[in-house]
Amino acid sequence: MSEKAFAVLGLFDDADALMAAIPKVREKVSSPVEAYTPYAIHGIEEALGLRRSPLAGMVMVMGFIGAVTALFFQWWMSAVDYPIITGGKAPFSWQAFVPIMFEVTVLFATFTAGLGMLLLLNKLPYFGHPVLHSKAIEGITRDKFALSVEASEGAVDVETARAALLSAGASSVEALPLPATGPSLTAQFILRSILGVVVACGISGLAMYWAIKLFPVLPPMVHMEDQPRLDPQRADDFFRDGHGMQQPVEGTVARGYLPLGVASQDEAAVLVNPLPRTAEVLEKGRAGYTNHCVVCHGPLGNGVPTLTKAYNAKPANLVSQQFRDYPDGKIYWAIVKGKNAMPSYAYDLSEEERWAVVHYVRALQRAQSALPGDLAGAAAGAASGAATKEGGAR
Amino acid sequence: MSDARKSSGPVLWVTLLLGLLGVGASYALAGAERFWANWILWFVYLLTISLGALFIVALEHLVGARWSVVLRRVPERLSTMLLMLVPVALVALGAVLVIYPGARPEAAQNKILAGKAFWLSFPFFSSRTVLFLVLWLIGLAVLVRGSLKQDESKDPAFNVRARRFAPLFMAFFAFGVTMVAFDWISGLEPEWYSDIFGVYLFAGSFLSGLAATALAIVYLQRRGRLQGVKRDHLYNVGGFMFAFTVFWSYIAFAQYMLMWYGDMPEEIFWYQERIQGPWLALVGLIVLLNFIIPFFALIPRDVKGDTGRLRWVAGLMLAGHLLDLYWLIFPSLGKGVLLSWPELSFALFFGSAALLWVRRAMEVGQDMPVGDPFLQEGLEFRL
Repeated sequence: MSEKAFAVLGLFDDADALMAAIPKVREKVSSPVEAYTPYAIHGIEEALGLRRSPLAGMVMVMGFIGAVTALFFQWWMSAVDYPIITGGKAPFSWQAFVPIMFEVTVLFATFTAGLGMLLLLNKLPYFGHPVLHSKAIEGITRDKFALSVEASEGAVDVETARAALLSAGASSVEALPLPATGPSLTAQFILRSILGVVVACGISGLAMYWAIKLFPVLPPMVHMEDQPRLDPQRADDFFRDGHGMQQPVEGTVARGYLPLGVASQDEAAVLVNPLPRTAEVLEKGRAGYTNHCVVCHGPLGNGVPTLTKAYNAKPANLVSQQFRDYPDGKIYWAIVKGKNAMPSYAYDLSEEERWAVVHYVRALQRAQSALPGDLAGAAAGAASGAATKEGGAR
Repeated sequence: MSDARKSSGPVLWVTLLLGLLGVGASYALAGAERFWANWILWFVYLLTISLGALFIVALEHLVGARWSVVLRRVPERLSTMLLMLVPVALVALGAVLVIYPGARPEAAQNKILAGKAFWLSFPFFSSRTVLFLVLWLIGLAVLVRGSLKQDESKDPAFNVRARRFAPLFMAFFAFGVTMVAFDWISGLEPEWYSDIFGVYLFAGSFLSGLAATALAIVYLQRRGRLQGVKRDHLYNVGGFMFAFTVFWSYIAFAQYMLMWYGDMPEEIFWYQERIQGPWLALVGLIVLLNFIIPFFALIPRDVKGDTGRLRWVAGLMLAGHLLDLYWLIFPSLGKGVLLSWPELSFALFFGSAALLWVRRAMEVGQDMPVGDPFLQEGLEFRL
C-alpha cells in the first residue's frame, strides 16, 4: 500500500522544460495533470488536454449584447421617449450613438472577460487550495514552473507520480497532503450569496411598489404639490363656471399698457414726448433702436437694412424730409401700432423706451442733415457727443 | 506549379507595356486632370505601402523587438520600392500646377487660398516633396542598406546605429506622411482642413505596409523559403493587422464624427462630396474591406497565424487602401465616379511595375538578416 496525497508537485526551471515534460507525465499517470506558472504560456491548454475555454465566445456574445443595448437605449431615449432636436440633427442619428455603443461594448466585453474568467471559469476565490500551502508556492509565483498530478476524486498515488515527474525532468518533487476539510469560501458560495441578495432586493422592491400602488393609505412623498390654491389653466369648482382662472373685469388696464386715447396716426400728432432730451434718454433710445429697429431701418435710419433683402420689404427712410416733418406723436404711433409691413413693437418696448426711441430717431435725422453750427459743438469734445445730438435734435 | 509561377514574369511585362500604352493614351484622350488624378492615386498608394514597410523596419529598431528580426528582410525589401517611386514623384510634380488649386494663378482671387498662398505655391510644395523624399532615402540607406551590408560583415555596430537612427527616422516619417496627406491629398481641395488627416493616412499606410509584408511572407513561404518562421511569428503579424484595422476605423470615424457634429460649411462640404450617390456605396465597400471583414476574420485566436487567412485578409486590406485613396482623391475633380479604361491602364501599369519590382526585390540579399546578432533569439521566439 503506497502513500496517498491530494497532489504531487514537480518543479521545473523554465517554461520550455515544463512544456516538454507535460506529455511525458501525462503518458505515465492516469490522474489529471495541472500546471502552475508565474505567467500565461501559449499552447499549454492543448498540451494539458484542457477543453477550449468558452471565454472568447462569451466575450463576443456579451460585446454584441453591449452594442445592441447601447443602440437600443439611445434610440429609445433620443428618438422615442424624449425626442429633442439638437444641432439640427435627426432624433435617430447613429453617428452620435457610435461612441457610446463602442464604450458599452467594451464595458460588457471586459467585465465578461474579467469576471467570467475569475468567477465562472476559474471558480475563484478558492482560499483553501492545498497548493497555496505548499513549499513550492513561493517559486511558482516568482520564477518556477510546477506540474501537479492532482486527484480529481480520491487521492494520487505518490510513488507513481513522483517517478513520472522526476523522469520528465523535475528538479524537485513535493507531495501535498489531503486537505482536512473542503474549502469554505468557494466561488459557488459567493455566487449564491450574491444571487440571494439580488433576488431579495428584487422581491422586496417589487413588493414595496405594489403595496404603495394598491393600498394608497399614505402618499409616500408629499412635497409642496398638494396645496389649497387655484392653479391657472386648471379646472376648479371655486368659481361658478368651473375655471380656476377668470377673465379680467371689463375695462381692466394692464400696467404699462395705458390706451393712447387717439384713434389714428394723424390724431396721434397731438401726443407730446414726455421725456427730456438727456444723454441717458438718448442712450436708452439708442439701445431700443439697435435691438429692434436697426435690422430694417439700418444703423443710420436711412432704410438700408442690415438684414439684407430677407423679407423683400422697403423699410421707410426715417431721415427723409417726410419723416423729419413728422411730429413725435406720429412716430410714436407707428412704433405702437405698426405701419404697412412693420408690426407693432408695443410688446418689445415699454412706453418709456418707445419715447426714448423717438428721441433717438430725431437725433439720427439731425445727424444726416447737420447745420453749420453743429460742427463747433462736435469740435468742443468727442466725449460730449451725446450732448451734441441733444442740442441738435429738433 | 513553380514553372507556372515563373512564367508570370513575361505576363507582367506585357501588362506593364499595355498599361503604359493606356497611360499615354489617357493623357491625350481622357484629359490632363484625369491623368494626373490617376497618377497621384498610384503614387500615393505605392508610396504609403513602401513607407509603411519602412516604418515597420524602423519600429523594430526603435523598440528593440527580437521576434521580428526573422521577418525584417521582408519589409526591408518592400521598402526599396521608394527607389522606384523617386521618378514617379518627380513626374507627379507636373500635376501641381494642373489640379492643385492652391498653386494655380486663380488662387490669388480666392481669399482663403490667398492666405495660404506661400505654403501652397509650387516652389514650396515641390521643395517639401523633394526634401522628404531625400529624408526617406536617407532612412532607406541607413536602415535597409546597412542591414543588407550586415549580411556580409556581421558587424553588430549596425544594430546600435539603427537603434540611434530610428527615433530620428520616426520624425521624418511622421512629418513626411502628414506632408503627403496635407499636400498631395487634401491639397486637392485646399479650403478644407482636418488636423487628424495625417494620422488617417498614417493608419492606412501602416496597415497596407503590414498587409504587403504579410502577403510577401506568404509568397516566400509557399516557395519553401523563410524556413524557421513559425506560426508564432505570423501570429504577431496577424495581431498587428487586427489591431491597426481597428486603429484605422477609429481615426476615420473620429474625423467624420467631429465634422458631422460640427456641420461647419468649411468642413462638411468635403464629406458631402464624398457621401453622395455612388460614393456612398464606395464608403460602404471601403469600411467593409478595411474594417469589418478583417476585424471579424482576425478575431479568433487560431487564425491569426494561419497563412491562408492572412493572405486573403491582407489582399482585401490592400484593395481597401487603394479604394480609400481613390475615394479621397477622385471626388475632388467633381466629375463623379471615373472608372474606365484610363483607370484600368494605370492599375495595369503601376500594378505590374510594383509586382515586377517586388519580385526582384525579394531576391535581394539573404531571406533573413543573417548578420544580425539577435536573429537566433528571433528564431527561438515563442508566444
